[in-house]
Amino acid sequence: MPKKNKDVKIFCDITKCVACRTCELACATEHSVSKDVYKLLKEDEQPKRRVRVSATPNESISIHCQHCKDAPCVAACMSGAMHKDEKSSATMHDKEKCVGCWMCVMACPFGAIVRDVKNRIAVKCDLCPDRDDYACVAACPTKALFAGTEEDFKKTLKEKRAKKR
Amino acid sequence: MSEYVIIGASAAGLSCCEAIREKDKKGKITIISDEKEMLYSRCLLTYLIGDKIGRDGLKFKADDFYKKHNIDAMHGVKAVMLDIKKKTVKLDNGKAVEFDKLLIATGATPKKVGIEGEGLKGVFSLRSIADAEGIISMVNDCDTAAILGGGLIGLRDAYALRLRGKKVKVVVKSSQILSQMLDKDAADIIEEKLTKEGIEVIKGLAAKKIKGKGKVAAVELEDGSEIECQMVIIGKGVSTNLNFAKEAGIKVETGIVADEYMQTSAKDVYTAGDVAEALDITTGLHRNNSVWPVAVEQGHCAGHNMAGNKTPYEGSCMMNATDFFGLPVVSIGITKPKGTGYEELTVKNSKEKVYKKIVLKDNIIRGIILLTEIANAGVYGILLKKRIDISPIKDRLLDDNFDYAKILHIVKERADKFGKAEFKETTITL
Repeated sequence: MPKKNKDVKIFCDITKCVACRTCELACATEHSVSKDVYKLLKEDEQPKRRVRVSATPNESISIHCQHCKDAPCVAACMSGAMHKDEKSSATMHDKEKCVGCWMCVMACPFGAIVRDVKNRIAVKCDLCPDRDDYACVAACPTKALFAGTEEDFKKTLKEKRAKKR
Repeated sequence: MSEYVIIGASAAGLSCCEAIREKDKKGKITIISDEKEMLYSRCLLTYLIGDKIGRDGLKFKADDFYKKHNIDAMHGVKAVMLDIKKKTVKLDNGKAVEFDKLLIATGATPKKVGIEGEGLKGVFSLRSIADAEGIISMVNDCDTAAILGGGLIGLRDAYALRLRGKKVKVVVKSSQILSQMLDKDAADIIEEKLTKEGIEVIKGLAAKKIKGKGKVAAVELEDGSEIECQMVIIGKGVSTNLNFAKEAGIKVETGIVADEYMQTSAKDVYTAGDVAEALDITTGLHRNNSVWPVAVEQGHCAGHNMAGNKTPYEGSCMMNATDFFGLPVVSIGITKPKGTGYEELTVKNSKEKVYKKIVLKDNIIRGIILLTEIANAGVYGILLKKRIDISPIKDRLLDDNFDYAKILHIVKERADKFGKAEFKETTITL
């Protein structure tokens, strides 16, 4: 999957998610300085994960930024930090402009924006700008996570289900 | 080719321009603002005063915003008269502009207290860059500042000056701070934090007069006591800038009355932002919800309608988020219910400064307060906004691990309410 394709985001196949939280670890690691799960433990600041796994008694899901078309976090952002990337239409966050007012946290219906308490800025999924693929998707041991457009995701699900039969 | 005129170039005005351009690439857009400075965020002014950002940091849009959207921007020009029949706006530079569609986003002005001494040097309110620069220019000569008003703007001012190392005293008439935004329990936790950080809060008293010869020397309170200070900032709320619309014969109440398409009582004249009085989803009534996110949403909705893409306004509610000295707080909707039929769910841990409150009526969330643990505020917010019956998850609403996963089934079952693609996409495999 070539990077920066339009409307790409991360989908979670709830039927496959086992709440192992590998995506959380992969995300945090990708956003560390060393990008190494062991070395990062010695870094000054512990990296923040931008995905969160949540389980109910019946199912579990890895919750990600949905990169909404009319993004409530962008509307709520009073500093211009939260914005839509023109090329990819991804919802991106400029940490230099962020003042930590938490309007985006208030606005996100998915709870996909977290606080970096130490630096007083918001943190969210940035679709892994430093790599060609996506850390959480690459790490998911059950292949519950998928990167692509909604169409791609539905197509893949169909193919998978056809194979099962 | 349509001609659009936008009056006011802040959150609502600029958002309206963007929305018009989504639908109409060619129409002529003219934006008029009586402020010389452009593309800056009013809400960041206290960050400038607190020295958290520089002047460049005030910009919330890229410098080429007007050029990129092909907008004719007129800054430092005031729109003085509107003729809704001839569809013209007269400007204070003698010129006039014609429009097919007009947006009135004239905003609001800080209220005066109406006491002696308000005209003295060193008395400020905070709305514009000019106000902020006035405050900053006097900061070095100021040892103690008195803030009149314990609302959000007053306290943001207090916080900013405290960050500058000033002694700060906040005078609040009410028995709690942030009385529009929070209940007393939450307000008291924040007050304790402010006090600990060196901001003195004086409650239950109003200022009687501001004293000084030419410049501020003290504030006298109702009980006769005095606060010696070199600066006074008035944070008593705002009143809407209505006259422009009112004089043109447009229906106004406390704001310019907007219909469900953000159109005023005059055809082809729209309104948005702090000046607009539109549907409030928590009460079902019309009111001014003068906050940044609402201004952006309303501007966006008005812009779509102006460009011919008929879009009903979903309605807004009061909402605010902020942070004092690392203590975050979110408030949405009705947080201090009056009347019968309300139910309150709360969790309180004063030691950890954790406070969560959900206000329900008929098992629909009407208001939320979150202190310290504000993650997932927006999940509660969407349940409020969509007026969802939360009965199936009521006993879990305030659990530590409450989040979007707990409402997945509701999102799927109520596809009528959660119509946006992003919601559907999360439940494809459910």
